[in-house]
Amino acid sequence: MSPAFEKHLNLLDYALSSLWRRKMKNLGIITVFAGVIFLVASFQILTSSLTSIAETMLAKTPEIVVQKMSAGRQESIPLSYLNRLDGVFGIRAAVPRIWGYYFDETSGANYTVMGVERNAMPEGQRLEMVIDGSYPDAEPGGAALGREVAANMNLAGRRTFSLFRPDLSLKTLRITGIFAESTNLLTGDLLVTSLDDARDLFAIPDNLATDLLVYVTNPNEISTIAKKIAARLPDTRVLTRPQILKTYKVVFGWRSGFASICLLAALAAFAILAWDKASGLSVEEKREIGILKVLGWQTTDILTLRYWESLTVAGLAFLIGCTAAYFHVLFLEGSLFRPVLLGWSVIHPSLKILPVFAAGDVLLIFTLSVLPYLAATVIPAWRCSTISPDAAVK
Amino acid sequence: MMIELESVNKIYNQGQPNEVQALYDVDLVIEANSMVCLRGASGSGKSTLLSIIGCILPPTSGRATVAGKQLSRLPDRFMTIHRRQTIGFIFQQFNILPDLTVQENISLPLLPLGVSPEERRMRAKVLIERLGISHRQNFPAGQISGGELQRVAIARALINDQPIILADEPTAHLDTKLSKEFLQIMVDLKKTGKTIIIASHDPLVTEKPEIDRIIDVTDGRVDVS
Ligand SMILES: Nc1ncnc2c1ncn2[C@@H]1O[C@H](COP(=O)(O)OP(=O)(O)OP(=O)(O)O)[C@@H](O)[C@H]1O
Ligand SMILES: [Mg+2]
Repeated sequence: MSPAFEKHLNLLDYALSSLWRRKMKNLGIITVFAGVIFLVASFQILTSSLTSIAETMLAKTPEIVVQKMSAGRQESIPLSYLNRLDGVFGIRAAVPRIWGYYFDETSGANYTVMGVERNAMPEGQRLEMVIDGSYPDAEPGGAALGREVAANMNLAGRRTFSLFRPDLSLKTLRITGIFAESTNLLTGDLLVTSLDDARDLFAIPDNLATDLLVYVTNPNEISTIAKKIAARLPDTRVLTRPQILKTYKVVFGWRSGFASICLLAALAAFAILAWDKASGLSVEEKREIGILKVLGWQTTDILTLRYWESLTVAGLAFLIGCTAAYFHVLFLEGSLFRPVLLGWSVIHPSLKILPVFAAGDVLLIFTLSVLPYLAATVIPAWRCSTISPDAAVK
Repeated sequence: MMIELESVNKIYNQGQPNEVQALYDVDLVIEANSMVCLRGASGSGKSTLLSIIGCILPPTSGRATVAGKQLSRLPDRFMTIHRRQTIGFIFQQFNILPDLTVQENISLPLLPLGVSPEERRMRAKVLIERLGISHRQNFPAGQISGGELQRVAIARALINDQPIILADEPTAHLDTKLSKEFLQIMVDLKKTGKTIIIASHDPLVTEKPEIDRIIDVTDGRVDVS
């Protein structure tokens, strides 16, 4: 073995044993450090996971949504508009949809009620696949519920429930199915009925709907077709799937950005703490550096030693923090950060989250935690080790 | 000759309000394989002189040549390399790390030289046995007596087989018996060919017959008599 390599082994060995000699202090640092990394990493993993879930699910939303606008606000759209879309080349199907929010006074929760004509929708049969049970359009009065809605209603085995119409008369619905857990992020607060039942519940006239869903033959033409529709129906707003995805990302990005800033603040506080601790090298540490220096250790040897020590502490904290975060998301589903990311509404989607740990995130966390710590510990040692060995010993 | 100083001056904190001149125009020659005592009152500059000879401090002006190298010309890095090859220093305060074992303390200078753990242990063991502290070799240095501590310091100064041994007030913390034992170890070392320089005002040292030469240091000046 070359002496240079042997020297590094010696320094590493010395670093590990001196960490061990101060194990209480170092365990303390590792614990706090790992805690901070745990928070940041949990958050990052959760964000990435939710983003990827949302992206796969939003991929199934309609390609184009047409809303009627009046005085800058959305209002119900006449079904006659459907006819005016006839002849726009490339439209595969256009179906009316009725949806709105229903406030459940007993539980204080808001449900999203949606009625569509499944048979008119391309691939409408696929909706069945996300429901445990059947789609509620076989006969009038059926409803499929999101898991959160079902849990909220306190059904206790009942298969029917009643909601109030605007005139406070009761409309009774029969449960035909529950949405699959895997879709909870989007379906948790959802109550799906046939178009007519939704119309009945919200008392919307027969000739109106909330909006129109347009499906295209060729997904590459979404924006061209959207433009054509907008030209034909000037009093409407035409939303495309890419736009919806973008809006979603903006909202989500804002939330996660906000939380990121809080976490970065925590990280910065830790860095300052570490700096403070480390830059005030204790008397013993200074003495040790002085002794090593006077015994013939070079400044670089002492820096290497410090570097190994800090890298071990920070690396261990990093590994522990990231692993804990991974399991936090896998088993506890990121319960610490869910409210921040999913909103504070009464209905929390309780979806199964599979941790997504992107290499970029790992690198970012590493750069923001391990590197500052290395700097905070190695630089003071460097300042101390460049002074003359005689002063260091006195 | 082993060590040669020519008009060496040492000024601490030069140009600052707390400036102190510790050495004035010191001319000194020390032959190889001699045993020399630097004698002087407290504050006279003995430690400063030893530090310059020991390549720990560069002189402010003048020429200091130790084992064939002129120190004032050496950058810090090379001074360190030269020091660990030629100088074994026994410090007044021992400078032992209390948390390390005796054996670890002794082999500390070998770590940056890339000496393997087995060889370090072997070399330390030889010295530990020679100095009669085998029963303490795995004790933390913080738990052994003053006399043993000094033997650890001596062993550490010898670990790299350096030709020059410097000892700063080695008997200051020892009783008469231990002081005599220390001097005997130095006498034995001289027989192995080492050059030994002891700074002390202890009569036990200065009156030791084996001392070849006494150099008086007075207020930073050396009388070569
Ligand atoms: N690092 C330093 N900075 C400033 N002044 C110093 C420094 N080291 C020593 N001195 C001063 O230089 C002079 C000589 O000190 P030195 O330590 O060499 O004397 P000494 O003979 O070894 O004394 P002692 O017997 O007390 O060890 C003293 O006046 C001391 O105060
Ligand atoms: Mg002194």
